Amino acid sequence: MNALAETRGVTRRFGTFTAVDSVSLAVEGGETVGLLGANGAGKTTLIRLLLGLLPPTSGEALLFGSAPSVRSRRRVGYVPQTLGLYDDMTVKENWDFTSRAFGLQRMPLPEDLGEIRNDLVGTLSLGTQRQVAFAVAMSHKPELLVLDEPTSGVAPLSRARLWQDIHAGAEAGAGVLVTTHNMEEAEQCDRLVVMADGQMMVGGTAADVIGSRTVAEVRSKDWRRTFELLDNSGLVIQAHGDVLRVPASKNVIDEALASEGVEVSTALVRANLEEAFVMIISEKSAT
Amino acid sequence: MWAMIVKEFRQLRRDRRTLAMMIVLPVLMLVIFGYAANFTVSQISTVVVGPQAITTAAQLKAPFRVVETDPKSGISTAKSRLLNGNAEVAFITGPGNTQVLMDGTQLFAVETAETTLGRMAQAARAAMAPPLDVSILYNPKLNTSWVLVPGLAGLILVFIGTLITSLGVVRERQSGTLEQLAVMPLRPWDVIAGKIVPYFIVASLDLIVIIAVGILLFGVPFVGNIAVFALGAILFLLVTLGMGVLISTVSQNQGQAIQLAFMVMLPQILLSGLIFPIDSMSAGVRWISYILPLTYFIDVSRGVMLKGMSIAALSEPLALLAILAVVVLALAMLRFRRDLAPSSRRYQNSLTEPKVAA
Repeated sequence: MNALAETRGVTRRFGTFTAVDSVSLAVEGGETVGLLGANGAGKTTLIRLLLGLLPPTSGEALLFGSAPSVRSRRRVGYVPQTLGLYDDMTVKENWDFTSRAFGLQRMPLPEDLGEIRNDLVGTLSLGTQRQVAFAVAMSHKPELLVLDEPTSGVAPLSRARLWQDIHAGAEAGAGVLVTTHNMEEAEQCDRLVVMADGQMMVGGTAADVIGSRTVAEVRSKDWRRTFELLDNSGLVIQAHGDVLRVPASKNVIDEALASEGVEVSTALVRANLEEAFVMIISEKSAT
Repeated sequence: MWAMIVKEFRQLRRDRRTLAMMIVLPVLMLVIFGYAANFTVSQISTVVVGPQAITTAAQLKAPFRVVETDPKSGISTAKSRLLNGNAEVAFITGPGNTQVLMDGTQLFAVETAETTLGRMAQAARAAMAPPLDVSILYNPKLNTSWVLVPGLAGLILVFIGTLITSLGVVRERQSGTLEQLAVMPLRPWDVIAGKIVPYFIVASLDLIVIIAVGILLFGVPFVGNIAVFALGAILFLLVTLGMGVLISTVSQNQGQAIQLAFMVMLPQILLSGLIFPIDSMSAGVRWISYILPLTYFIDVSRGVMLKGMSIAALSEPLALLAILAVVVLALAMLRFRRDLAPSSRRYQNSLTEPKVAA
């Protein structure tokens, strides 16, 4: 079976800057693929390459097995970071415009948008705007849904609702490609692709991304002092109550604390997704 | 395409500022050019001094309007009146010749004064010469508004077509909706047509209003064929709308679009023959006039409205407008396609060309 969307060694340069560096990726029907990366990692550029909004410098980007075209775009729903809605038109007018542009006549507005049908999009909260953009992108029942940072700036409740909608889309058979830098959201995806500096670092389930990476759990009587010393050594620390989680080896931690004679007990435990992500990024920047 | 047109009209309806610009500006321009910008000088403030002042003042007729007559003062008073702007022309009478001083900063007044004085001198010695039978065609009273209104109609079309269209497209780019249009199953042509049709309609309505006001308020004649005029207007409007789209494709934001639009509009105002005659421009500048679409629209609009020229007589400006329309629209389409479907050609190449081994 052909993937819904696929890149084969795709590279995009802007002058001397390489935004996307030889990335291969595929999205199948019914799965939610998360593109995980810090700001500037190349996620948005990769999406724009896939949709044919940018020509690749080398490699290929394919939609439904061929180059992006008017016909293949008809099967795609896309919500850009900027939402792509017209602020000076009402919810209903935006809905009508998109339906007509996709060749659908008199599509009824979804019930949950009924109350705000006559509100200008520009007057709605960002969370509601994103909800509208998502509904509009789904209006023509796309086979592939591409969402660029769909929940940035959205309150937790709206975020949960959006993810509910995203899962519903995938269950109905659509392939979903979603970019994020939020780890909780990343965990909602079936598969993850971690990007850094335009390159694909690792791909697979959350468990695959974490792999065998471990962090040190550091306990001590004076956790504040310990935190300060570790922080001074430039380590990334997460405090969970009085337990500090540090993505570093026991030796490195002992070394950082040795001079001050702070007593700690250190145990290695499996990293969580966020820690694994930080470690992948730091491994990349170290090379 | 229909979806785009409906959308544009909905947005235009809510964009009060642009709407006001499209309605108020033409009216404002018409009033300014029609009433204020009058090149015919009807009054020249005149001061007469020197011993013969009273006799000379009595002989001066319109457009000279004597504001001061003083037989006791001389050239110094006359100069101070010109310096202070109390008068534009001063007659310093003496026992012999009368000296006339004029304020060169008042270009049109001085030119009129010179012509009038010339005519007076000619009349004085013309008794024996056979009289010349002079008649002025098309605009016998030399009304400025008759000449300006047809040109002004073109200027309004330039304004709406170039500035407002480019702003409309750039706004989509800035807000990120152009990208959304690009991923919709719309052909570039649908998007361009959807963008320009509403402005085309509004500009046409503006044109009709201006011509109607020109006829009713300023008595500008319309002696030619409306269809020929409409043909010229449509071709010209296509050029200006194409310019608007073209400007929008090279502008990242509205500020850049405004700058570029003014760079396109200003030469058309100054060099198209709207205000200054093209024949009196120096050769170095005149060639610019010949590539400006407004130059040809003015040929058509003045030709049809004032002279009643036929389509055959206007074939040259009409053909040139048609060529400009095709060239500008084609360029706009090509550039706009790059924005909307940037990769399609490249993909076709990459899919058909054999791959080079890495």
